[in-house]
Amino acid sequence: MFERFTKEAQAAVVGAQQVARETGSRAVDTRHLLVALAQGSGSVHRALTASGVEPGPVVSKARADLRAGGLDGDALATLGIDLDAVRRQADAVFGRDALERASRTPRGHIPFTPDAKKALELALREAIRLKHRSIRSAHLLLGMLRGDNPGRDLLLQAGADTDALRTALEDGARAA
Amino acid sequence: MVSTSVDTMTAKTLVDSAASDDPGVGLRAVRSFRELAERLETLQVSRARGLGWSWQDIADALGVTRQAVHKKHGRRS
Repeated sequence: MFERFTKEAQAAVVGAQQVARETGSRAVDTRHLLVALAQGSGSVHRALTASGVEPGPVVSKARADLRAGGLDGDALATLGIDLDAVRRQADAVFGRDALERASRTPRGHIPFTPDAKKALELALREAIRLKHRSIRSAHLLLGMLRGDNPGRDLLLQAGADTDALRTALEDGARAA
Repeated sequence: MVSTSVDTMTAKTLVDSAASDDPGVGLRAVRSFRELAERLETLQVSRARGLGWSWQDIADALGVTRQAVHKKHGRRS
């Protein structure tokens, strides 16, 4: 499947792994992929801008969410644990951002979540639907938008108009 | 007066959610709790090693075997 990816799309998949390493994540999900796609100046970045979504804040929000990782403050509050208090205490003893630094990223290959794999499959389907011979980065985001995943949720939270975004991505993929 | 009622409200919200019978909420809490414990273990072990604790000392404190703690944390510190 990957041999049909363009260089830019391959770079996004590799970039998603890099983002996972930077945010101390144990697996690559669609948010990592979204960051990798949106942070450069490539076709997805342009499509987001064209559809009225500023890529910068989306990338920052995604990175912040990813760094917080599996630590859900609201869920911990139901047990009477104040995550902010734990965080302050940890920072005082172990130094700044201690809890974030303590997150363990597996060495070597970081696995993709089922949602992220699904998004890659859907990207292939998008390329076929549009009769494009290769899978471009725009197809990756189109695939993500077809599924139900945290990357898409982030875009919706950012106020993305999915129809406008799809149109911008399809135009970008056609022009590429 | 105002702050008291806010405190009462917060406490009530907490009690309500702690008493929630939604397994989804409970399971998410367990997951985060486990993750938090893992991260604190990583930080504590690394600091203890830095302060000169032996693997055996750390293992005893954690209630696990020396082999287990070394296998889990050895390459990091």
